[in-house]
Amino acid sequence: MSADIDTADRDAAEGPDSSVRFRVENIRKEFTNVVALDDVNFELRTGEVVGLVGENGAGKSTLLNVLSGIYQQDQGRIYVDGEEVTITDPLDASRHGIAIVHQEHNVIPNLSGYENLFLEQFPDYSTAGVLDSNRLKREGQDVLDTLGIDLDLEKRVANYSFSDRQMLSIAKAFTETVHTDHPVILLDEPTAGLEEDGRDLLFDRIDDLRDHASFVFVSHELDEVLEISDRIYVLRDGEVVDHLLVEDASEDRLQQSMVGREISEGYYQVSEQRGVTGADTAISVSNLSMDGAFEDVSFDVHEGEIFGICGVMGSGKSELGRVLSGVDDPDGGSIAVGGETVEPGSVHRMVDNGVGYVPKERQSEGTLLYQPLRVNVSLPSLGTDLVADEVPGLGSVPWLIDFDKEDEMAEGVVDRLNVKTPSIESPLIQLSGGNQQKVVLGKNLQREVSVLVMDNVTRGIDVGAKEEVYRILRQLANDGVAMVFIADELPELIGMSNRIGVMHEGEMVDILDAPPGDKPTESEIIKEMI
Amino acid sequence: MAGSTSGNAVVDWIGQYRENRSATDILIDLGPFLMLLILMAIFTATSDVFLTYDNLVGNVMMNSMILLFVALAGTFPILQQSIDLSVASIVSLSGVLTAMLINDFNLGILALVLGILAGTGVGLLNGVVFAKAKIPSFLVTLGSLSVFSGSALLLTGGYSVPFNAPAIRQIAIGQTIPNVPNLVVWGLVFYVLVSLLAWKTTFGRYTYALGENERVADFSGVKVDRYKIGAFVVSGTLCGLAGVLLTARITSATPGMGQGLLLQSIAAIVMGGTALTGGVGGPHRTILGVLVIGVLTNGMNLLGIQSFVQEIILGFVVIFAVALSMDRDKIDVVK
Repeated sequence: MSADIDTADRDAAEGPDSSVRFRVENIRKEFTNVVALDDVNFELRTGEVVGLVGENGAGKSTLLNVLSGIYQQDQGRIYVDGEEVTITDPLDASRHGIAIVHQEHNVIPNLSGYENLFLEQFPDYSTAGVLDSNRLKREGQDVLDTLGIDLDLEKRVANYSFSDRQMLSIAKAFTETVHTDHPVILLDEPTAGLEEDGRDLLFDRIDDLRDHASFVFVSHELDEVLEISDRIYVLRDGEVVDHLLVEDASEDRLQQSMVGREISEGYYQVSEQRGVTGADTAISVSNLSMDGAFEDVSFDVHEGEIFGICGVMGSGKSELGRVLSGVDDPDGGSIAVGGETVEPGSVHRMVDNGVGYVPKERQSEGTLLYQPLRVNVSLPSLGTDLVADEVPGLGSVPWLIDFDKEDEMAEGVVDRLNVKTPSIESPLIQLSGGNQQKVVLGKNLQREVSVLVMDNVTRGIDVGAKEEVYRILRQLANDGVAMVFIADELPELIGMSNRIGVMHEGEMVDILDAPPGDKPTESEIIKEMI
Repeated sequence: MAGSTSGNAVVDWIGQYRENRSATDILIDLGPFLMLLILMAIFTATSDVFLTYDNLVGNVMMNSMILLFVALAGTFPILQQSIDLSVASIVSLSGVLTAMLINDFNLGILALVLGILAGTGVGLLNGVVFAKAKIPSFLVTLGSLSVFSGSALLLTGGYSVPFNAPAIRQIAIGQTIPNVPNLVVWGLVFYVLVSLLAWKTTFGRYTYALGENERVADFSGVKVDRYKIGAFVVSGTLCGLAGVLLTARITSATPGMGQGLLLQSIAAIVMGGTALTGGVGGPHRTILGVLVIGVLTNGMNLLGIQSFVQEIILGFVVIFAVALSMDRDKIDVVK
């Protein structure tokens, strides 16, 4: 598929040139050793919602950061309303009418809604340094009324729901760009972390606000991009590889463009799913309870089995994962690994008994971002004789590190899990999210693991990397590792699991069989989840 | 043949180093070196005596060694994003204990060993209260600072404890290697050992990991409490050693002998390139900060600068050197 849409489409899509609100030409941005953006052309017309998709590391975030003035491009030009501009910093960007709503909303929790709304403009609202709160409240309410957003501005933002914070961030984007009548608002993965209701509300708002603003919408969820966008750009390896009207787009087409090849049949490699009848029990959970999170949960997972766990937010599934991995202490019940009861409440005790944990928050819980890949990989295995068979121990003296063997271990992970990295000495922050996640998986496999507890192991990583993670999990199952697979994405959960435990309000209400060829449907599972 | 292979290894190492470090990183790595070279150039130009062996070893090095021990000690908690504020008071406490054991109990060399162990013991105490009771290290050691220096005052009644033991004095100022005072040898030996501890051992590695992100280390199965306590034990032991060697050098101990070492050691650690936010730097770099302070003090003495003015200049140099050696890009908010 060619990168341009053909001329007829282009005319239809663009309409008269005067409506082009914002355009960038031949943008190039390089970091040490990496070309993040190469010859990118991109435009946004008045009242338009443009989708921006691509795998991790494709350059989406870099593009948003260039547009919002956080980075400066090395080459290329930016035009606002047909006039060339240079954007030197975020404040400059908002002067040109461009504002960004970050994934982690840029609001200050211990201030009230109206204070957050006008944070940058406090000097304009003060007399001799004294803030005119009444005026802030009044004008804040006016802004919300114009935008049709319903929020209690008097409340401290700490007491806002996730979805309310996002609405506030969007309103804030308007107040930041108050001197332009039609701002450009960049939404960086706005739906990540939103529940269904919040998402619908967000999409309604975006639709209503087309008269007031233009949007760039970035998301990993292709169905959402298709639902809300007028046009879609696909980035791969820093280049725009596809650019199409939403009418011409489909999830398949977008996925192909993002990955650069067709997604192979059997994404979840269901045919590889192992039967586990007669296999030994690897982990046995009985009557496990944690006050306020879950009650009386019991199940067994066999060697080589993938046991899926699903449930809505607040069903207790993540808390269950944290107890199984030893992070949190339960209030009752017991856990046995390989037939032996393990006293819960300590990760290292669990690790010593062969339980590995892939936490939900990759960046804050799984990786040392400024340490080299090598250091991350060996972290759980230093000073232990429980190193997995196929990799050599880290030295005969447990408290001394044998750097050669450590290198070998890191190289092994890079080879086996196909991690894309400049070298094993590269700090993890230089790797894309998917490759970081492979390192988190890999480091857990360097010790003898019989059970792997994973919480949303593919969260925020792209299609290609997901497929590789699935391949790795199938391989682990083949090696006899039992897996507790907590997931929010139902197709993935259904595709990967041998059995599925459904959590509802802290109870495991059902355990469904999911053999190849007879998998439960999404709707069957959703029915039990709610 | 062997020579060329190791030559290649060095070239490889430099190549790999440059691949993974940006220009700012490299400037920051070199910052304390530059600072030291600039100071040495200034004093070489302005003083005839500065660049002589006797001055560099007999004065600069000799007078920096106690600070070196204390700064090496403080590096470990700081690498873990904690801090040990009690370092100077441990120096005083183990110093007066040693002097009293020599003077009142005639224990001789054994007194030195006990003095060091006293440092280990109070370090362990700091660490256990910090890690097990989960009280921030800043507050634990702020309190223990007062406890230790109060104890030193109580033990001595506020007076100094001189003793007469030439053999013990030789441990510090004798010259087993001709023209090199033993104290300098002690300092350099421990500098190498402590650098290896940080670089080559599991304890050292986990120290860096804890400093960058304790939760990640915990979730990976690291026994974090053990290594947090370990950092304070190392710190206490090295401070005990500093107190003992200082006592041996001056054949006397006073309850205030550690005064000034806390702030100087923190300045040296940060100047060397170990961030107060943890995870980067290390004891191998701390020596640079120590030498900057040592060279500066010595140079100013040679130039006859009044000691009150010296203090002001030292303050400016510390701020400037920290500005050179700090990577502000990796820190979200500076407080």
